[in-house]
Amino acid sequence: MKILLVEDEARIARRLERMTRDFFGPRLQTLTSCDALPTALHALETAAPDLLLLDLNLNGQDGFDLLKSVAAGSFHTIIISAYTEKAITAFAHGVLDFVPKPFAEERLVQAFARLTTVPPKLENPLQFLAVKKQGRLILIDIKDLRYIKGAGIYTELHLQNGKKELHDKSLEKLAQLLPASFERIHKSYIVSIAQAEKIIVQEGSSYQLLLKNGELLPIGRSRYKELRSKMG
Amino acid sequence: MARLLCFCLLLLTLASCQSEVRYTGADAVYHPGDDPRWAARQYDDSRWQPERGPTGTRVFWTRNWVTLRQRNPRTPLGMQVNAFGAFEVYWDGILIGQNGELATRERAEVPGTAASCYPVPDSLARPGRHLVALRSTQAYLTDDERGTYIHLDGYLRLLQGPLIVMSFMNLMAGAFLIAALYYLFLFLNSSRKEPAILVFSLICFLFFALLILEYVKFYIAIPYPQFYLRLEAIGWLTFAISLLVPLYFAIQFGLQRKRLLSGVLLAVLLGIYFLNFHHYDLTAMRFSYAMWLASVAVVVAAIIRKARGAGVVLAGLLASAVVNYFLYYDSGLFIGYTLLVLCMLYLHTIRVRAMETEHQAAQLLSSRLKLELLKKNIQPHFIKNTLTSMLDWVEESPKEGAVFIQALAQEFDILNDIAEATLIPVSQEIELCRHHLRVMQFRKEIRYELETSGIDPTDLIPPAIFHTVLENGITHSLPLADGCIRFRLSFEHTGRHKRYTLLTCARNRPEARTDQPSTGFHYIEARLRESFGSSWEFSSHAVPEGWLTSIKIGLVA
Repeated sequence: MKILLVEDEARIARRLERMTRDFFGPRLQTLTSCDALPTALHALETAAPDLLLLDLNLNGQDGFDLLKSVAAGSFHTIIISAYTEKAITAFAHGVLDFVPKPFAEERLVQAFARLTTVPPKLENPLQFLAVKKQGRLILIDIKDLRYIKGAGIYTELHLQNGKKELHDKSLEKLAQLLPASFERIHKSYIVSIAQAEKIIVQEGSSYQLLLKNGELLPIGRSRYKELRSKMG
Repeated sequence: MARLLCFCLLLLTLASCQSEVRYTGADAVYHPGDDPRWAARQYDDSRWQPERGPTGTRVFWTRNWVTLRQRNPRTPLGMQVNAFGAFEVYWDGILIGQNGELATRERAEVPGTAASCYPVPDSLARPGRHLVALRSTQAYLTDDERGTYIHLDGYLRLLQGPLIVMSFMNLMAGAFLIAALYYLFLFLNSSRKEPAILVFSLICFLFFALLILEYVKFYIAIPYPQFYLRLEAIGWLTFAISLLVPLYFAIQFGLQRKRLLSGVLLAVLLGIYFLNFHHYDLTAMRFSYAMWLASVAVVVAAIIRKARGAGVVLAGLLASAVVNYFLYYDSGLFIGYTLLVLCMLYLHTIRVRAMETEHQAAQLLSSRLKLELLKKNIQPHFIKNTLTSMLDWVEESPKEGAVFIQALAQEFDILNDIAEATLIPVSQEIELCRHHLRVMQFRKEIRYELETSGIDPTDLIPPAIFHTVLENGITHSLPLADGCIRFRLSFEHTGRHKRYTLLTCARNRPEARTDQPSTGFHYIEARLRESFGSSWEFSSHAVPEGWLTSIKIGLVA
């Protein structure tokens, strides 16, 4: 696990560092600490971490741009901020968790736990996926998604208008962020339940999902039951 | 109000009534010497002269023929005589009245008044030709051969006419007096001491005096030797008014070169005075014209500069010119003056309105700043970060944590004390800064030091301005090699200024301060404006040692 920590208050940075080391123990490969944004952005560009712990001052326009930028990254982000009222915005843009200051160790541990366990669906669900496109960041409303296909360390976002966008996060990471209206149907596919027409049973008891636009997607053997129960 | 209006209308109708008496007069003829027969109708005065000639203190006679054509037999006939001197009045040879007492060998003359009225007995007031003969002496102003004028009218009308005119004029005079007193008190009790208010009060008082003096002749018998004294006084009052009115407009419209204007106007008025020496009415009229022209010039200049209210004042000036053109000199002049004063009052209300708005804006700014000061320490960035650090200190080393909590409590105490103030002693501000630095030291784990030099602890400054500079310094600076950020606050007092400089000895963060300084500086500037108007300078820029902020405050003259 490679972790980048961005916090300009020395005492709080030390606290975060200590708790992070305690939680991850030997699983922690590197822990880099930055006290200013330019160095943090540089670190993100040179070697992307697995997890970003970010003290975000969301009150400025810069804070919002930074949020979109980190949300588009391949890594998970946990925001640690004094501006609790911005939590909904942060979640809407796809952060793994939002830890309000001041925080106790239990709360931070709870946030770290979301990395490994399948979390209970959030109250403030993801609404947008930030995508890097030609050096710019665009926001895609998840209502416009048809399905998501894993492509190695990237994912392809298939939109209802037939277009396709690439996202830096892996399918596993997106599965942790997406709300209950999305279902993992295969090791390489997540589909929007609203876009599913019906399940087609093929010979040899293999299953396929027919989408409303006529596309067929494979259904993993182990995932069939759950999907059937969800589709009613 | 309606009653007052009715009363005024009634008076106006009375005043404008057609005379009940119709007559024609002839020019007076004079003869020096004294003979009782000269009072008689039958005496032949064909060789008498229309010029009086020098008479010194001796007795002379005046004969004046009038032809009475028509009169209302139900009211008594009256006669008004305008002449200098002391005289007996004979109507068709019969003595009907006396004005003063004639000089004799034994006794000096008791001077009469310039205008006097006499009832004419009904038995003598039949239509036809009548002789008015005056037996006079003029022991004073002997060089002044003023003519003799006879005027016939109903006796009551002769007495009441001036009262009606005076009732109007006293009404106006009272209004001017009240205005003069009101604005004088306003000036005395106002902290701003605006010269325009004093000038306005003075103008109102001069108008009051002018009106009273103009009509004082109707109720005080002025002996003819003092006749010109009043006219002279009226002339000087008009002179002062003519000088002050354009000056007032110049002040109200904020015109440049007021001294030049006053100087030129003064020269013109003096010129008028000496060119028309002893032509009292003419002089006063020309003063008024000069005043009007100067006022119009000032107002036109104001209109060009788009000053508020200038248009209305110009309209008022034009209206006063129109009134003056159509009405008889005296009343026209006074109505014109009243219009002028109305213009001035209007200007004054505009000014008051502007001041009110200014005051409200200042109050608004003050409360906004108060709020900002309060917000400084309850904003999440400060309080949540402080609490998080505190949590960590308490968990890690409770003893240090307690010290941290104390420091924060002390900072809050001071902030609470100064929350309502617009100015606080600099010693209190320094104390606030020290507590803040201690709090930040716990948070940032950087050593912060505040050194002061030359401080006058009692000097007053707006609250939390150095605090704001420190906040910026903490955010945008990196510690020096020894792990310390030093702040050096120094104070110097030069003749007309005092200056605070706050030097942050640190490395500036490369990313910070690229364009505009932080929003905290707006707070500092607003606070300085609130307390020191425009007499301050604020600068903040990078220097080799770190960052230098300086505040220069002009001492109030």
